[in-house]
Amino acid sequence: MQESMLKKFKKSDVADKVSLIIALIVLVILFSVLNTNYFTSRNLMNILMACSLMGFVAIAETYLIIANQIDLSAGSVAAFSSVFAAYLVKMGVSPIIAMIITVLAGCIIGVINAATINYLKLQPFIATLATMSVFRGLAYILCDGKAIGISNASYNKIGSYRIFGVLPIPVLILIIAFIVFGFVLARTYFGRSIYVLGGNSYAAKLAGLNPKAIIFKLYIISGAMSALAGALLAARMNSGQPAAADGLEFDAVTAAVLGGAAFTGGTGTIFGTLLGMLILQGFNTGLLMLGVQTFWQEVAKGVLLVVALTFDYFRKLSRTKKELEESKLNKSNLVDQA
Amino acid sequence: MTTESTRNIIQDKGNVFWLINVYVNTNLLRYGVIQMSYIEFKSINKYFPGVKALNNVSFRAESGKVYAFVGENGAGKSTLLKIMNGDYMPDSGSMIIDGKEVNFTTPRDAIAHGISVIYQERQIVKEMTVAENVFVGDWPLKKNNVVDYSMMNEQTRNICERFGLKIEPDVKVGNLSTAMQQMVEIMKAVRRDPEIIAFDEPTASLSDKEIEILFRIINQLKEQNKIILYVSHRMNEISMISDEVIVLKDGELVGQKPTGSLSDDDLIRMMVGRPLGKIFEELQRNDNIGDTIMELKNITTDYVSDISFNVRKGEILGFAGLVGAGRTEIMRAIFGLDKVISGEILLEGKKIAPKSPQSAMKLGIAMVPEDRKDQGILPNISVKGNISIAVLKSLLNKYSVIDREKERKIADNAIEKFRIRTPDADKQITQLSGGNQQKAILARWLEMNPKILIMDEPTKGIDVGAKSEFYQIICECARAGISVLLISSELPEILGLSDRIVVVREGRVSSIIDRKEATEELILKYAMVDNEKKQ
Repeated sequence: MQESMLKKFKKSDVADKVSLIIALIVLVILFSVLNTNYFTSRNLMNILMACSLMGFVAIAETYLIIANQIDLSAGSVAAFSSVFAAYLVKMGVSPIIAMIITVLAGCIIGVINAATINYLKLQPFIATLATMSVFRGLAYILCDGKAIGISNASYNKIGSYRIFGVLPIPVLILIIAFIVFGFVLARTYFGRSIYVLGGNSYAAKLAGLNPKAIIFKLYIISGAMSALAGALLAARMNSGQPAAADGLEFDAVTAAVLGGAAFTGGTGTIFGTLLGMLILQGFNTGLLMLGVQTFWQEVAKGVLLVVALTFDYFRKLSRTKKELEESKLNKSNLVDQA
Repeated sequence: MTTESTRNIIQDKGNVFWLINVYVNTNLLRYGVIQMSYIEFKSINKYFPGVKALNNVSFRAESGKVYAFVGENGAGKSTLLKIMNGDYMPDSGSMIIDGKEVNFTTPRDAIAHGISVIYQERQIVKEMTVAENVFVGDWPLKKNNVVDYSMMNEQTRNICERFGLKIEPDVKVGNLSTAMQQMVEIMKAVRRDPEIIAFDEPTASLSDKEIEILFRIINQLKEQNKIILYVSHRMNEISMISDEVIVLKDGELVGQKPTGSLSDDDLIRMMVGRPLGKIFEELQRNDNIGDTIMELKNITTDYVSDISFNVRKGEILGFAGLVGAGRTEIMRAIFGLDKVISGEILLEGKKIAPKSPQSAMKLGIAMVPEDRKDQGILPNISVKGNISIAVLKSLLNKYSVIDREKERKIADNAIEKFRIRTPDADKQITQLSGGNQQKAILARWLEMNPKILIMDEPTKGIDVGAKSEFYQIICECARAGISVLLISSELPEILGLSDRIVVVREGRVSSIIDRKEATEELILKYAMVDNEKKQ
């Protein structure tokens, strides 16, 4: 019985991500020693706040990467949405309604992305590269190149209010999003169909799935998440910024890949992406607090990615070898039974 | 210095002596100064996770002879070739060529020792020309380091002529038929003038005419005193071309005997322990076939025209014909993959027009596709997930979350019922052998309780043991009232299983033959009659 518990744990998500969890712990300890202000609730909240924007997009990109897709337009859509939300508020639309409309607009953008992929048969990379450019441009056109300020205090409060004085609203939404989307991916029919599609889309079709419908859903999720991130960004910055969220999609993809999503499709988890995101942002904030020039953060991000994936590769290699050794020792292996 | 230690120095990789040795050897072989006389495997062992692929395998192959390797899938034939080609390293045991032990760590080493292995999966570059492929990695250069195309094309043309192939050297390989691509693969291997040539199921994609050419090539190589290893599932080929047969079973070598001393039944008995003819005789057929359940009336798509036939409840309807005759395309129309231009399909008297596999499934139609690896398995998920996918929607609880208990039960039941060999249901499907993968796919479709079960070459590339299990399952399906549409290129299979046989030629139904009247000759006549006229 104990052994089966151990086996169950070995197969679980947590065990699979052991190296990332250790990396995260080491990182927190390291920075806490170097700077006593690092491991405080206020700073940890700040880290979460800093990555909330990227977090929403990272969830969507994880789904997409597993399904062998990608959305490069996420950053542009977020910027467009921040301007769009600010524009709506300026027009006198109430904050909550403005947010909802913005997210719906994001859904429509998702439909456009999916339609170009499904019907014009463009590669996801190319299709979303095009919309990336289109929506960055539209963001500038909508506000005539200047940021739109938001004077509505209750809208701005969405970005700054802290529940019980600690928990910012965007962070709360992000935590809920991680739980919901993590559960959907792991345990529902839709989640399973994402994995199946990413493994082999034609085989998925022959097994009775509808790849086009899944692709629509995925890009609608991606558009909605980017728009949500943009709307929250506008609330935090008290304005709609057409130049904001530049390269956001790449940060999100970095987090997903760091967390174990593979570009060949078919693998990845939301839990992994969460870890990837925390490591990235924890590292960034740590360097910032140590007074390291911000340009170095970019360098660090790249190095981190390579080191983490290399480490993961060797860990998997040694695991395969171990399995091999076990099967050699195990006299009652499959062939003998047969 | 003892000879022992000298040899150790010479065999130590990276050592100057070793390099010289390989170089000299290669060139002596190439220019025919020396000829290889034998290769020997001594107690080769190879393990993979969960599987003992080769267990203490020893054999000896001599020049001027053709050795046929037979055995079920997963018996270890391909693993053996991969070890010889330097793709895999044996865990223990040794390979000996002309008395010297050799160790290959890469395919390059194998080539340097005069070994060429032609794999089942083509390894050619479709965007390059025939000549470029034949000389791949070893393109002849002019003095100014530019590739010498004229020389390359000329030499390629020579090889083509030698084998009687009508291929132009400067055609892109992607434009050739799959059979001719296979020939390019063979030319590529022969061009290196190897001493040992191994063929891994070379005839899988060849028609009879091309097989004839292949055998001529093999006989030429035999006359040149090469060592030829030939892996195949087809009995008649083995008796035609080989001098000795080496039988493998579950990673062990069962026997090595002169071909003439063995009948087909002897061979099969060595491979699985029972003769093939009995397999069909022992099947429990469905004795009470019902009324017509599905009818196709003058169905025309982009690929087939005027297809009409009916299938009755609990009937096994076989589809025979040449590769490319349009059998698969008929099934694609039924399964909602190809657009029906005219004609109609009636299911239980009602007109149906499935637009996608999804809608075909809702009507109770299931299909085991032709290409297991690229169309059948869902490669990145577990055996369990592969089995449950077709019925997954019915396994959701009231919160539309997958009921994992139910899913596991279904998978475990299927694994037991179909005897799928896997350590547990959570194993990734790609880690199973081909036959077991196919069983999982069949289990997937039977789980949804179909009215019509389409099976497109279900036993292709599957060993005899698993095949007979498949035959039993197919008959069980028919007894349970499922109508089976069975495509197969193996005539004994079609004859042994079908209640009626639809023969397809050039996109049309050329005849429908009853079980009682069907013979191999009759089917072949209807499948090829037009071709004969042309000749």
